Amino acid sequence: MTKEKMRVGLFVTCLVDLMRPRIGFAALRLLEAAGCDVVVPAAQTCCGQPAFNSGDTRVARALALKLIVEFEGLDYVVVPSGSCAGMIRVHYPQLFDDDPAAAARARALAARTFELTDFLVSVLGVAEVPGDFEGTVTYHDSCSGLRELGVKAQPRALLAHMPGVELKEMAASEECCGFGGMFSVKFGDISTRIVDRKCDNIRATGADAVVLGDLGCMLNIEGRLRRRGDERTRVLHVAEVLAGED
Amino acid sequence: MRSQAMFFKARAGDKLADRQLQANLGKAKSRFVEGRAQAVADYDAAPGADFEALRDAASAIRDRVLANLDVWLETFEDKARARGAEVLYARDGAEICRLVVDIARRHGVTKAAKSKSMLSEEAGLNAALAAAGIEPVETDLGEYILQINDNEPPSHIIAPVFHKSKEEVAELFARTHHTPKKDDIAGMAREAREVLREHFLSAEMGISGANFLIAETGSAALVTNEGNGRMVTTLPKVHVVVTGIEKLVPTLEDFSTLMRLLPRSATGQRISNYVSVLTGVKGEDDLDGPEHLYVILVDNGRASLVGTEFEPMLRCIRCGACMNHCPVYQSVGGHAYGWVYPGPMGSVLTPLYTGIDNALDLPHASTLCNQCGVVCPVKIPLPELLRKLREKQVELKLRPWRERLALRLWGWIASRPALYGFAARIAVRYLNRRAGGTDRIGALRAAPDWTAGRDLAAPEGRTFRELYAERIRHEARRKR
Ligand code: SF4
Repeated sequence: MTKEKMRVGLFVTCLVDLMRPRIGFAALRLLEAAGCDVVVPAAQTCCGQPAFNSGDTRVARALALKLIVEFEGLDYVVVPSGSCAGMIRVHYPQLFDDDPAAAARARALAARTFELTDFLVSVLGVAEVPGDFEGTVTYHDSCSGLRELGVKAQPRALLAHMPGVELKEMAASEECCGFGGMFSVKFGDISTRIVDRKCDNIRATGADAVVLGDLGCMLNIEGRLRRRGDERTRVLHVAEVLAGED
Repeated sequence: MRSQAMFFKARAGDKLADRQLQANLGKAKSRFVEGRAQAVADYDAAPGADFEALRDAASAIRDRVLANLDVWLETFEDKARARGAEVLYARDGAEICRLVVDIARRHGVTKAAKSKSMLSEEAGLNAALAAAGIEPVETDLGEYILQINDNEPPSHIIAPVFHKSKEEVAELFARTHHTPKKDDIAGMAREAREVLREHFLSAEMGISGANFLIAETGSAALVTNEGNGRMVTTLPKVHVVVTGIEKLVPTLEDFSTLMRLLPRSATGQRISNYVSVLTGVKGEDDLDGPEHLYVILVDNGRASLVGTEFEPMLRCIRCGACMNHCPVYQSVGGHAYGWVYPGPMGSVLTPLYTGIDNALDLPHASTLCNQCGVVCPVKIPLPELLRKLREKQVELKLRPWRERLALRLWGWIASRPALYGFAARIAVRYLNRRAGGTDRIGALRAAPDWTAGRDLAAPEGRTFRELYAERIRHEARRKR
């Protein structure tokens, strides 16, 4: 008897939807290549993180419940973003202190939710990936992925399996890039100072690309590199590198 | 001290433009961050030692005290009284000032030598003493430098002149002491020591804070790196300890647990240069020590946090690790925060102690990267507390109406998938028009601060949901 395919829900995240659809498709290809039956619920929108971090719990709760309903029937939820996966895994269960039934559903979903590279490595045990990137890369550890979900070795392990990729660690790869969602909008100048340090560290490696797992960091770092006149260093989401061109 | 916390954004802008400050911040940052990392690694390298376990033990000690704060305060009071100390309580800063001035008057004091105390900053004690005709002299080298520089406020809780360079201090000394300018730190320290010696000998009263109060012995513990604390607490006949009610630990054993964490987290030292445990007044056979000892236990907002969601903040042992590791603090320094306590701990404490509507920016002045939570020796969930303060602001409708409206609107749209899909399409088209055929947008009216420092990469042109829906239709057609 053949084992039934795992049904994996892909949460695309609002920034991927708006800014970089190709990252969503890359995640889709990676999951399919790993043998998953991927479901992309059509009604999904945003995980509620902007509202949550701004202190608007009511909105955050409404969006959390919406997402829980959409992904509840699936075996896993996979997210190509550390901060959105962290939102679901770490913060959803805390959102429903006064509603035990909703809290239980949030916990159940949280337990089945994974950041993309974490899912590929820790759940599926994937080693081979379809990508064919050639060049040196340096990895930026985004705060939520790293400190909320423990994503550090997983993307590096996958990159290490790609024959053309040489990983060169930057100094302070675990330091924040200064994005912080609304922080970079409210305090643009402080954020710029922080991301400058990140850009310096990236530059010092001489890598062809900085690779990361979060759209926020990606827009922030790419935006600053370009404004500083760096047209050479590519800023790539880890899914794009691992999945290769369509 | 009057809070300037409402002006965080403007003050931060000034600090970003201050080149000297920026250079100093860079140097100090690497020293503290690397120092702590090394100290933790060294600690863990010893057989059987585990820094994480130590952090857990320390948080448990602090929580044990907070769970029964009144009982521990009574125990401390009894023990301290039995050793001849007088224990007083102060509700707020004004009461601290009144009590200290009263004590000074009672003993005919004209000069008070001070060792660093954050609470005297909270209370504005120096100004109150001066107004009462009593000269306060700061004896901590950093605090002394600030005092002679026109009573400048500290910018860091353990390194108050964190923001100053050697050069600046050299000039300040030459100007104030009327001596030739020195260019070595040792020489400057010697010069300050000579000036301060006079004060130690002539001050009739010593004022200090306390890093911890030990309930079982009624002692106040003082941790310093300069030894000035010993002079302040032993030379003058009268000694006043001013400290917060939350500084209690039950036993000497607990104190030693916390002492394993404090210097390592603060400066990366295994142990601080001087640790003094002061118990009671001078005894008959003692060679030195104060004849009169007062311990002023201060509330100033602390008691109101007990039993609330903000109680974990009272675990704080004032090590400064959270600020040393905070990317925002590293960028703007302590003065931007506008009150006694800077960095992540200050962003929580300032609104709680001075009023949530007096520090609207501070809870937002964080990327929530959680470096602070990772390094805090007593595991205070700082990002979570910042977020709770943001919630309070929303509940109290303290955020600007534009921001509130934008969030509500976003929530409303995001709850309606069809509308959301439509709005996303419009947004993408708009951004692409703004990019004008290039791959980036240089300025965006909706986020001017953001695009002041970076280009926004243009979207790809279609949203994921558009492309995905198309693909599904395609596949369906192929199958037919
Ligand atoms: S909050 Fe934690 S890290 Fe910050 S000063 Fe207090 S004890 Fe130290």
